[in-house]
Amino acid sequence: MRNKTIRHLSLVLALMLFAGVLAACNNGSGGSTQGSEQGGTSGNKGEKVTLQFYMLGDAPKDLPVIESEINKLAEADLNVNVKFNYTSWTDWDQKYKLLLSSGQPIDLIFTADWTFYQSYAKKGAFLPLDEMLPTAAPALKAHVPDDMWNAVKINDKIYTVPSTWIEYVTEGIAYREDLREKYNLPKPESLETLEAYLEGIKANEPNMIPIADSNANHTYGIRQLTSKLVNTAGQLPYGLDIMYDTPSTVTSYWGSAQHLEDLKTYKRWMDKGFFPKNVLNVKDTSNSLLQNGKAAVVLSGENPNKFNADVIKVQSTHPDWKLAYFPYPNAKGFAQPVHPIHNGFAIPRSSKNPEKALAFYEKLVTDKRYNWLTEYGVEGKNFEVDNGYYKMVGDAQTNGFPREGMNGWAWRNPEFMLYDKTFDDVLTMFEDLDKIKKPDIYTGFAEDWTPYQAEKAALEQVEKQYLYPLNVGLVADVEAGLNTFMEKAKQAGLEKIQAEYTKQWQEYLKSTGIQ
Amino acid sequence: MNTPMSTHTRTNTRLRDSEFTFMFQLISYSFIIILSIMCLLPFLLILSGSFSSNESIVRDGYHLFPTDFSLEGYKMVFKFPTQVLKAYGVTVFTTVVGTTLGLFLITMAGFVLQRKDFKYRNTFSFFIYFTTLFGGGLVPWYIMLANYFNLTDTYTVLIFPGLMTPFLIILMKNFIRSAVPDELIESAKIDGANDFRIYFSIVLKLAMPGIATVGLFLALGYWNDWFTSSLFINNPDMYQLQFYLYNTMNTITFIDQMAIGTGITLSQDVPTESTKMAMAIVVTGPILFLYPFVQRYFVKGLTIGAVKG
Repeated sequence: MRNKTIRHLSLVLALMLFAGVLAACNNGSGGSTQGSEQGGTSGNKGEKVTLQFYMLGDAPKDLPVIESEINKLAEADLNVNVKFNYTSWTDWDQKYKLLLSSGQPIDLIFTADWTFYQSYAKKGAFLPLDEMLPTAAPALKAHVPDDMWNAVKINDKIYTVPSTWIEYVTEGIAYREDLREKYNLPKPESLETLEAYLEGIKANEPNMIPIADSNANHTYGIRQLTSKLVNTAGQLPYGLDIMYDTPSTVTSYWGSAQHLEDLKTYKRWMDKGFFPKNVLNVKDTSNSLLQNGKAAVVLSGENPNKFNADVIKVQSTHPDWKLAYFPYPNAKGFAQPVHPIHNGFAIPRSSKNPEKALAFYEKLVTDKRYNWLTEYGVEGKNFEVDNGYYKMVGDAQTNGFPREGMNGWAWRNPEFMLYDKTFDDVLTMFEDLDKIKKPDIYTGFAEDWTPYQAEKAALEQVEKQYLYPLNVGLVADVEAGLNTFMEKAKQAGLEKIQAEYTKQWQEYLKSTGIQ
Repeated sequence: MNTPMSTHTRTNTRLRDSEFTFMFQLISYSFIIILSIMCLLPFLLILSGSFSSNESIVRDGYHLFPTDFSLEGYKMVFKFPTQVLKAYGVTVFTTVVGTTLGLFLITMAGFVLQRKDFKYRNTFSFFIYFTTLFGGGLVPWYIMLANYFNLTDTYTVLIFPGLMTPFLIILMKNFIRSAVPDELIESAKIDGANDFRIYFSIVLKLAMPGIATVGLFLALGYWNDWFTSSLFINNPDMYQLQFYLYNTMNTITFIDQMAIGTGITLSQDVPTESTKMAMAIVVTGPILFLYPFVQRYFVKGLTIGAVKG
């Protein structure tokens, strides 16, 4: 008998212990989203809340300092506190999806075309802002021009606050100008001159790799050099072709005569030794290859901003080298500035305080104190203003908050922006591109791949396995290789994808009235 | 290679025997040496890479001896030693706490599940086994830990999910079944020991080899874990070591891949090749020094089970 009671007792005890363990786990970060009871001194602003603010990338070292400074301001102005969260770049896309689908309270999150703002908005991940804006953030509504508000609309509703700073991420060829002069080579401004330039490099600099692009990315560059594609990045998904001047005509680039010809070009380049034999396994970034003098040309991803960073880097390490740049828009005859969707902030559906979040974001954009703190850090500690220019205190190693260290691309405000002196060249490039400006008609399109999700995944595999080797000329018989790729792609469902995508694109053109 | 002729007069068989052992040893030793070199070479490459200047790595690749000796990699790492040290602390802490806690839980579970007089042992075993076949997937798991348990940014989240794995529980159960005879438990009961007494004094002692094995699995799991940090930790001070490194590398790949069309330039300093190598050395170094001292315990623990006394 006594034995039994003891056994029962110990069972109960064990259960209690286990429950205790679980409970202990519970008070970890609970209550982070509920406001604290005290501290709400001014009754008209309601109870104090803590906003959860999410941004991609890594937090700068001095983030806690900035956060407390911002909270001092925000508490006085709006009676809110903000917690800045960073996802880091590891698996950021997966985390982004989890954040939006798990329903945890998030008040502000970064959006962009490359984070699939359009499809998330279509699926209802964000709150529509149309009714909230005039009451919660009138200054913000006035600050962003109407055409930008219209440009970010999905199904006639605004879901994100776009950045008003106009920038270009159009790409171009970055190349070694000093070597060009030294060996008297042509400027690489067309396919022919580019090939001649590469040949010259190969002949005179046997230890260099002429083309720096890893992962067969050079194809993106070549497409921009030789065609007037509707998008800036130089390749449409699923091997489609849509030209800027005739947007309603959609054809397939994959398997076309042009495609075969391009692949033959790449084969010839491989034979001439413009790529290293192990090009598909090269892990070095194209920029580091260029900066360290291992390669002479970068064909993809070099936008004005990035090229400028390369120039600064090379100037400090090899002052005798010279880099030059040929923007693809000069070959295309027009340049598209980034679409307003490219940088924005949205309020997810799970937000508990959408009005307060919007009011706080208004402060971030339109109040200079907030804006400078979050873009440049603490004045005197992280940066100084020197003749109207931004000047970093110390260097990138010692400074805990470099320029735009919080990745605040979305709340840049042209009125308050400070540029580094070295950025002048980029601004000059932007001015040149402004002269041939044409609106971006592509980014507003929201692709919905739910009808062909499985095919899409299968196609990506086929592309990696069969098209990549063709892109770098590793397949002896180009035509047979292309046929194999097309065959495999069709098996994966290419035609279904292309037809569905075309249908959606045509509908988008109709709804926006683009001809 | 010729075998040295022995000057002693021996019987034929003896000679053949010694020749045979000599040949055998020669072959086995050279085999082991080659294998060791294959394991050591990559490490040497990393070591020499960490002492080379970044530019020489990008230009001429890796060499067994630094062509252009420089300490810039280490300078970069130790400019902010606090971050590396903090990540170290987190990983050591979770490994120690997680392994000890996990071992207690797993051995208890294994002990209970193999007791013949526990009526529901098959039901419970089924529940545990079932999860190995059907999982809810990532999203439900994430929602459970993040929203229901509120574990984001806690040390608990780094320890709790890895504490018990079905595979290890089943392993432990079977091990205890073979190592602890039922009669022993019976006789202990007759002598008046209760279940906890039996568990602490008998089961834990007899199951030591199994515990060493499972402990090794657990410890490795915690030491190499980066995924949990990646999902649930926002505070850089709480990153596990592996994630801290993995994330640094990922930033570089991100810049390379996403550059197309995003126009992002990151303001932070991106670690160079030599810095990456220096980091790898800094991270694995202490373990390398520690391992020879700990190794004998592993060997001991794993061989106890081999001899049934």
